[in-house]
Amino acid sequence: MTDLAKKRFAQLGQQLQYDQLSTVRRQAEGWRNGLTGLTGLVGVVFVLKGRESVAGMPGVWRWTTALLLVAAFVLLLAGALCAVRAAHGQLGQGTWLSGERLLAAVLDEVERTQSAVITARRLSIAGLSAIVIAIAVSWLVPVKNAADPAGSGKDGPYVLVVTDRGTECGTLVVGDAGAVTIKQAKAKAESDKEAPQKTTLDDARQWHRIPADDVRSVVPTDGC
Amino acid sequence: MPDHASTDFHEHETAVRPDDRFDVVRSDDGRWYTVTGLCPTCRATVVFRVAYGVLGPSKRLWGRDPHRPEPLTGSVTVFCQCGYPHAERPPESPDTGCGAFWDVPVSGTGAGQGAAS
Repeated sequence: MTDLAKKRFAQLGQQLQYDQLSTVRRQAEGWRNGLTGLTGLVGVVFVLKGRESVAGMPGVWRWTTALLLVAAFVLLLAGALCAVRAAHGQLGQGTWLSGERLLAAVLDEVERTQSAVITARRLSIAGLSAIVIAIAVSWLVPVKNAADPAGSGKDGPYVLVVTDRGTECGTLVVGDAGAVTIKQAKAKAESDKEAPQKTTLDDARQWHRIPADDVRSVVPTDGC
Repeated sequence: MPDHASTDFHEHETAVRPDDRFDVVRSDDGRWYTVTGLCPTCRATVVFRVAYGVLGPSKRLWGRDPHRPEPLTGSVTVFCQCGYPHAERPPESPDTGCGAFWDVPVSGTGAGQGAAS
């Protein structure tokens, strides 16, 4: 009994010797498209991210986030180039077109293409991971908010309040028809150094209320 | 064409004569085998090449030499590619021989001689 399937697979194997480079190229194109889609997926998943910049983050985390994003860009760029190289070959590569050399060159190129796909996959995954970590850092690290009246953020705006008794400087807390209230900067700095966890309570103690009748002028300033 | 028998084209698995020998030679870089011997049916010399190929991403680990695959073991199915015209061969057939095919054993070392099974 003749098993023709055995012969057909032998014929297929012979045919694949000629076709395997284009087969591998198509495979690489699929991987390239898949990796590109995966990269775009990050933008879709994290469209609800809460922060648009690293401003206000503590210095260490700001630099960590920046380095992660730079690393992600480099990794994704290298991964994309590897994927394109796998799908379309190396520019300027040549070989003698004799039968033996061509067969060896095809086998070489098949292996290089496979290696490039694997490298592209690793680089893309590393780059995507770096982006995800950077976004997670920006989500989770607490940010100093300049608009926070409790004083957990940057001080300011500073004002110089000129009174009959002299000049006082501090952060403007509130000003109305009855008085101008400032938080004296020097006292706050000392308080933060000694007991940072009691900042809010100390802030209230450092507020200095100056009656409006005593105030001669209030002048904005960069610092005290 | 002194040794060739002009048989009609017929796809069939054939037995190999006991005195027939096939040379199975692995290339220097180990990436293909060349099987050489006489077709049991039409008696033409057949040179059959089997190259190493890929079906998916490589599973090799870091640093392993990708250029020399594991030796081929078992047997190679060889079909006649004598290149002679054979009557009754359909024009759409990819065959270039008499249609016969047979198995040639391959030693684990990757080269040698074998009689068909």
